Amino acid sequence: MPPAWRRRGLWSALVFLVIALLITLVWLAGRYEASQVQSHLERDAAEAVGDVRSALTRNRQSLQALQFNEPSPDVWIRDAQAFLRDHRELVRIEWRDSAQKITTLVETPFSSPVFNRATRTNSQSEVVHTCTAARRVSGPAYSSSYFVMLTGGVGIEVMDLCLPLVTAGQLNGYVVATYSLPSMLNELLSRKLTRGQEVSFTDGDGTRLAIHGLARRTNRVFTAQQLIELSGNTLVLRLDSWHGAPDLFPNVLTALVMAMSLALIAVLFLLGRDMRRRLKAERDLAEALAFRKAMEDSLITGLRARDLNGRITYVNPAFCEMVGFSAQELMGQSANAPYWPPELADEYQRRQAIRLAGTAPPREGFDSVFMHKDGTRIPVLIIEAPLRDEQGVQTGWMSAFLDMREQRRVEELSRASQDRLQATARLAMVGEMASLLSHELNQPLAAISSYATGSTNLLREGNFTSADLTLAMQRIAQQAERAGKVIKSVHDFVRRRDQAREAVTPQALFDAVMPLVNLQARKLWVQVQLRAASSLPQVLCDRTMVEQVLLNLARNGMQAMDRPDISRRVLLLEVKRHPNVDEHQLLFSVTDIGPGIAPDVAQQLFTPFFTTKAEGMGLGLSLCRTVIEQHGGSLVFAPNTPQGTVFSFTLPLA
Amino acid sequence: MQPVIDASVFIVDDDASVRDALAWLLRSRRVPSQAFESADAFWHMIEAGFSPQSPCCLLLDVRMPGLSGLALFERLVERDLHQIMPVIFLTGHADVPTAVATVKRGAFDFCEKPFSDNALVDRVEQAIAQSADILQTQQARNSVRQRFSELTERERDVMRLVVDGLPNKLIADQLDISVRTVEVHRARVFDKMSVKSAVELANLLREI
Repeated sequence: MPPAWRRRGLWSALVFLVIALLITLVWLAGRYEASQVQSHLERDAAEAVGDVRSALTRNRQSLQALQFNEPSPDVWIRDAQAFLRDHRELVRIEWRDSAQKITTLVETPFSSPVFNRATRTNSQSEVVHTCTAARRVSGPAYSSSYFVMLTGGVGIEVMDLCLPLVTAGQLNGYVVATYSLPSMLNELLSRKLTRGQEVSFTDGDGTRLAIHGLARRTNRVFTAQQLIELSGNTLVLRLDSWHGAPDLFPNVLTALVMAMSLALIAVLFLLGRDMRRRLKAERDLAEALAFRKAMEDSLITGLRARDLNGRITYVNPAFCEMVGFSAQELMGQSANAPYWPPELADEYQRRQAIRLAGTAPPREGFDSVFMHKDGTRIPVLIIEAPLRDEQGVQTGWMSAFLDMREQRRVEELSRASQDRLQATARLAMVGEMASLLSHELNQPLAAISSYATGSTNLLREGNFTSADLTLAMQRIAQQAERAGKVIKSVHDFVRRRDQAREAVTPQALFDAVMPLVNLQARKLWVQVQLRAASSLPQVLCDRTMVEQVLLNLARNGMQAMDRPDISRRVLLLEVKRHPNVDEHQLLFSVTDIGPGIAPDVAQQLFTPFFTTKAEGMGLGLSLCRTVIEQHGGSLVFAPNTPQGTVFSFTLPLA
Repeated sequence: MQPVIDASVFIVDDDASVRDALAWLLRSRRVPSQAFESADAFWHMIEAGFSPQSPCCLLLDVRMPGLSGLALFERLVERDLHQIMPVIFLTGHADVPTAVATVKRGAFDFCEKPFSDNALVDRVEQAIAQSADILQTQQARNSVRQRFSELTERERDVMRLVVDGLPNKLIADQLDISVRTVEVHRARVFDKMSVKSAVELANLLREI
């Protein structure tokens, strides 16, 4: 399932659940409120029943009190009338004799008499029945309620109370009090109860007998019913309340729940927005990461990060490709990284120690050599910079590596072609000089030859004078002398360089050639060692020429070691006092550990134009020897132990 | 009036000793010579109107200050003098390829210094002989031209038709003259061109 759909599904589920929860809460709150109202109503009803009951009891006692001390009818009437004035719920009090005939009666002063004679007669049986029951139980009895028609088409529901009058066990008569049910509701219940709710008496099947308070008919009405048990009758008190008929927000609780739900939805919405933002940020981050990754992968510059202990913490693909090791192989490596050439490991170890001590490398980078997994050496340019975290505390070193092979090759090519050009130019110059020299020598030789041939011709023919021959001989002598001068001038030209000699320290000679030597050494992976005793005296020499000799010998030595079977290539340049103390000379030597010199080659080594190199002129060593001999020294060579060759020459002290 | 130079070999070399030695050598073989110290000097003489009347040859050093031997040779080729005056180059060893090229362009030979002297003199004599041949041919040709120029207009017309092989009668018809007149002209042409037959006349004319 696509993530977008899943997310949408989750969101819908969440909204649905929230709404369901909300509805449940509202419903529960409503129900709780309804039950509150209901129980309140029940409490009211119970209270009302209590009220009614106690009022009825009080009235019964008061009615019994009317008969106290066998009052005269006038007194009874007076008291009964007073009583009725106080108790509006009663509409009539009758005093009946033991035969249930009405002796005296009092009507309520608040309304017109309820009963006329006829209607009272209608209810006579009811009264009789009730009084019979009262007499049987020797206590008050209530009749069932019954409807009395009044004038004007209306009527009221009334109920009789019959009190038997017993004196010393002798039934004297009855007091019958008639209650109006509507007035009972009106008078006996507290105002509080009747306010806002409808109170009614009903009979057993729910028919309303009397109602107090006007019910506001709404959708929902709470109803509570309570039985009022009376002897002989049972009334049902019913309370109908429209109080708190629930609206959409029935009360504070629901409102609170609602508000909280809204707040919840708002929070959810905010969370959702935050989530969306977070997702977007994540997407952006992923994009940025992918971008960075692509950038890293497309780089041809090798990158490597190391922590402060020198452990590799990161390498990019270009670096891995450069050295041939995978990132897994390189991670965590510290001392003696696998791409260090074994012969240079010591030096690198020192360099790393210096770096870890906190010394910053040159900003423009430095040259170094790495070893590929297959053993080939790679010249690299390293640029290092400290790696800092956001607090600016250094956490390691970041290094960039440029593969210099191609550049070296181009440099080498251009240098080689330059060398060839120079050689060609030198050759052309030599040719020109040879041509000039041969011309200069040819002229006198040609003249000599001509005179000699001419003289021979004359002598053969015998036709000559001695003057002729003398002239010829003189000319021959002159031309011979001229040829001699040409030769001497060449010699003088060579000797003129004697004047260029100066006193130099051996170190200065080495310093001058080392840059060139190192250049080639790097190309051929040769390690150059320089061994010069300190405080050596100066030598007297033509500086340029001797430097050329040193350079030539060093080059020869390095080229001799440029063979695949020689892995550890060391060239030793050394200068020391001549071992023979009497000699006022310094001994220079250049030692290689190449294959040495074959005997047949050794014989012709100093012969001009003899060479073993494809592009050599065969003049190098011969020139070297000439230069050294001009300085009064000697150039010799000997096999080195265990292998290689030592070339050594001497120079006079200044 | 051209200068009279009685010399068979002209030596042009900037080196006096070489010039003297060569002259001495040639004299020992009885070959007269005249030396010039530079190509410019020799060219001046040519410019002055010199043209060889007797067999001769030129010994020319390749490398010289001023006008070089090669440049001088080119000028001689331009004036068509290198046949009548064969050129032998004297070279140092470095100049051999150039010298070979000049031989292809018409130089007689080249000699590398230091040379085998008598062999050089032999080559000089051969060059002089060639010069003599050419000079002779040239002189013969000049004399034919000379004689041809002496003919009158009418004689030339007749001669052209004779050489074409027409009989006298037809020549007379074409030129609208009498046969007799043709015969007279014909005899005069044969006389002036000093030939005896029409065939001889045709050969002579083919040469020029």
